[in-house]
Amino acid sequence: MTAVTTDVLVVGAGFFGLSSAWWMKQRRSGARIMVVDGGEFASGASGRNGAGFRMQWGLDLNILLSKESTAFFENASELLDYPRGIELKQDGYLVLAHSQNALDRLNASIAIQHRYQVPSELLDAEACMKMVPALNRERLVGGTYCAKDGTASPFRLLDALLIASRREQVEVRYGTRVERIEKRNGVFTASTKDGPIEANQVLLCTDWAVPQLLHPLGVELPVTSLPKEAIVTVPCTPRVKPILISLEHHISVNQLARGSIVFVPTRAREGSTIESTPGFLSWAAPKIIDLLPGVAEVAVLRTWGCVSSVTPDMQPILGETEIQGLYVAVSAYRGFMTCPAVGRMMASLVMDGVTDPVLAQLSPGRFKAGKTTIEPLLNQE
Amino acid sequence: MRRSVVVVGAGPAGMAAAIEAAARGCEVTVLDESARPGGQIYRQADPRLSGTEFAEPTELSRKKRLLRRFDEILHAIHYRANTIAYAAFGNGEIHVQVGDRTEVLKPDAVVLATGMRERAIPFPGWTLPGVMFAGGAQAILKAQRTSPGRIAVVAGCGPLPIVVASQLTRAGTRVAALASLRSPLAILRSPAGMWHGRDIMREGLRYGRSLLRASVPRLTGYIPIRALGKERLEGVQMARVDEQGHALPGTTREIACDLLAINYGFIANSELAAMAGARIRHDPDGGFWLPETDDEGRTSLPWLFAAGDTAGLRGALVAESEGAIVGAAAASAVRTVATSDALTEAIAARRRYSRFARVVRQTLVVPVALWRTATDDTVVCRCENVLLSELRSALENGHHSLNAIKRNARPGMGWCGGRMCLHSVAVLAELHAGVAPGKMMTPRPMARPVPFAALAQQKRAVEP
Repeated sequence: MTAVTTDVLVVGAGFFGLSSAWWMKQRRSGARIMVVDGGEFASGASGRNGAGFRMQWGLDLNILLSKESTAFFENASELLDYPRGIELKQDGYLVLAHSQNALDRLNASIAIQHRYQVPSELLDAEACMKMVPALNRERLVGGTYCAKDGTASPFRLLDALLIASRREQVEVRYGTRVERIEKRNGVFTASTKDGPIEANQVLLCTDWAVPQLLHPLGVELPVTSLPKEAIVTVPCTPRVKPILISLEHHISVNQLARGSIVFVPTRAREGSTIESTPGFLSWAAPKIIDLLPGVAEVAVLRTWGCVSSVTPDMQPILGETEIQGLYVAVSAYRGFMTCPAVGRMMASLVMDGVTDPVLAQLSPGRFKAGKTTIEPLLNQE
Repeated sequence: MRRSVVVVGAGPAGMAAAIEAAARGCEVTVLDESARPGGQIYRQADPRLSGTEFAEPTELSRKKRLLRRFDEILHAIHYRANTIAYAAFGNGEIHVQVGDRTEVLKPDAVVLATGMRERAIPFPGWTLPGVMFAGGAQAILKAQRTSPGRIAVVAGCGPLPIVVASQLTRAGTRVAALASLRSPLAILRSPAGMWHGRDIMREGLRYGRSLLRASVPRLTGYIPIRALGKERLEGVQMARVDEQGHALPGTTREIACDLLAINYGFIANSELAAMAGARIRHDPDGGFWLPETDDEGRTSLPWLFAAGDTAGLRGALVAESEGAIVGAAAASAVRTVATSDALTEAIAARRRYSRFARVVRQTLVVPVALWRTATDDTVVCRCENVLLSELRSALENGHHSLNAIKRNARPGMGWCGGRMCLHSVAVLAELHAGVAPGKMMTPRPMARPVPFAALAQQKRAVEP
């Protein structure tokens, strides 16, 4: 088979892949950009997440990524010329603490957030209850709230990025799985069942599956996978206005614009299955009721499975690998909420060789160099 | 310890399967979402209701006979009414909701006898109050012994519209028209098949005669193309269709009515089989997505069986005889000592009624052109309010599998989980983008919504 050639090959048509491709065209409209995906529209983690975005983080770099992305979400319809809109809802995000330790972490983080003008505030337990009366008052110590955080439809955002990329002549192919990548004489060859694709540069956006493509090239990245299951309820009256996360319950709660509530509880598991497991709902339901007694009577409509990427410091991995021209963008389960900023930064790195200060801290090389910092406001164990 | 068989559904197939498995010494549990056994076809009214039933005496005697036989084994089985099976898993677990609690069952074998639902074909105005499934109208007649409308138009194909029109007239409704896609006399082309269903044919003729007596106007070759009205149904626009199902210009007529009862055949309730991971086949007019089964109801999973319309649309009489055959097969699959009581009667009955069912099936074949009555502003998925135009734009953007279409345009993401619309989405994809319906959408728990409180109160049955 004759090879298809392109300037940049992006592997994975999720948030990072499509956003990077779109931004590459903003930097250089004449470049040939191709995005291939082994699945179909939104079939990976991009179509399976909790749909929330927040600027409330404890590390500068996460705040910067989210802040830039939030500004993009607010104008996404215009920026991407997508009249349907992305179902943006900025009703805030409430991060809950059920122990003094958690509250201390929130307190320390809010000081950093204020340095970047994130309009977050510290709330006592009574103020949290007033904001969400459906909460359980017992053991609740307090929380932080940011009114500019919110939710949007991941399906709409991904559709907007897809349509905008195609409009800019990015070639997006679904059902094309890259089996193997090789580099010879400075050119990459990606093998697919439809034949080889040759590219000068390659960006891997297959998230937790990135090591599978890197390993044969002799590049090791410490990325593993965490299977999660999510729950969506039938539409119900508004009872959880802001998005909630509880640092102790490891649950995120997001009532969508259409009334359904999405719960993503995290438990320690291994593997990369997206199957629904028999014990999940009876495990999750008591935890959810303990956090939010006011939803006990709401009916679960459906569950679905998701795999998120896990890195040793639970930070994204963004940058060039030890092989020149081969880049990775691993989300650490923040692909939706950071994709506008990550796409822009990856595009300037790939197209112009410019490394954003944020990317410098998230490079694939940081693990060997031993330069890692743990994000204190994670919603999982 | 006795080996256990769980039967899901207490219609004709489920009741017959339970009777047979119990007779073979299994510990049988029957789960049914209704308050009383009977399923859709033998639905029973609340015992406190007085008044007569509107069905033919021969149908009523079949119903009574099977319900009596089921009643006779009630003491020997666990019959659990108001119990909803909401999930099935590949490890053999069946999860059920009973009121404010849930339970996990893990029997040695499961027989799915979950029947079927009616097939909706979207057309302009079909979501107006007053537009119903013909079977839905009949369920009201059966359960509440009252009619859902004063002036009705009954339409569709196959035998059900004839039966429902007749029962509506008996309930005092004026049937302004009985429209059928093709002449019911087409069935006369298969005299051999008819002979096998002669008793059912006699019933059909009696229903037909009562329509003649009530002077119900017949519109052969007509379909409803638009339901009229603002807040609720006020009338219907009918049009004549050609052999391929295309509406013919200049043939439309309007009929005033407050009830439009339609049946275009059926879709099998195969979600639990798919959720458990059984292999699924595609049969557009025989129930759409069906678990693959052999003659004795075995699916691709060793512990899972399917009987009656769940395994392919063939009607109540096949369901009853097949239920017995599959109940016996499930029993012998889980018992170490096989009892081989003769099932000759059930096997002969199934063979005979299957021949008749094949004839009836021809009357239920719906040409895909009927989906052309939907216009760009017609709702395709009523839970998520997805319009045909939105579906078409998803198709135009290259999203062709049902999963991709769902994620892009949201049909099937709402309350009913796609039970109402997914077959239409598949047909519309074929019609507008030339892509074959292909794979069913990935089936996920839940088959029915269940509150968190009930999920938190979960009991695990003792494992055998």
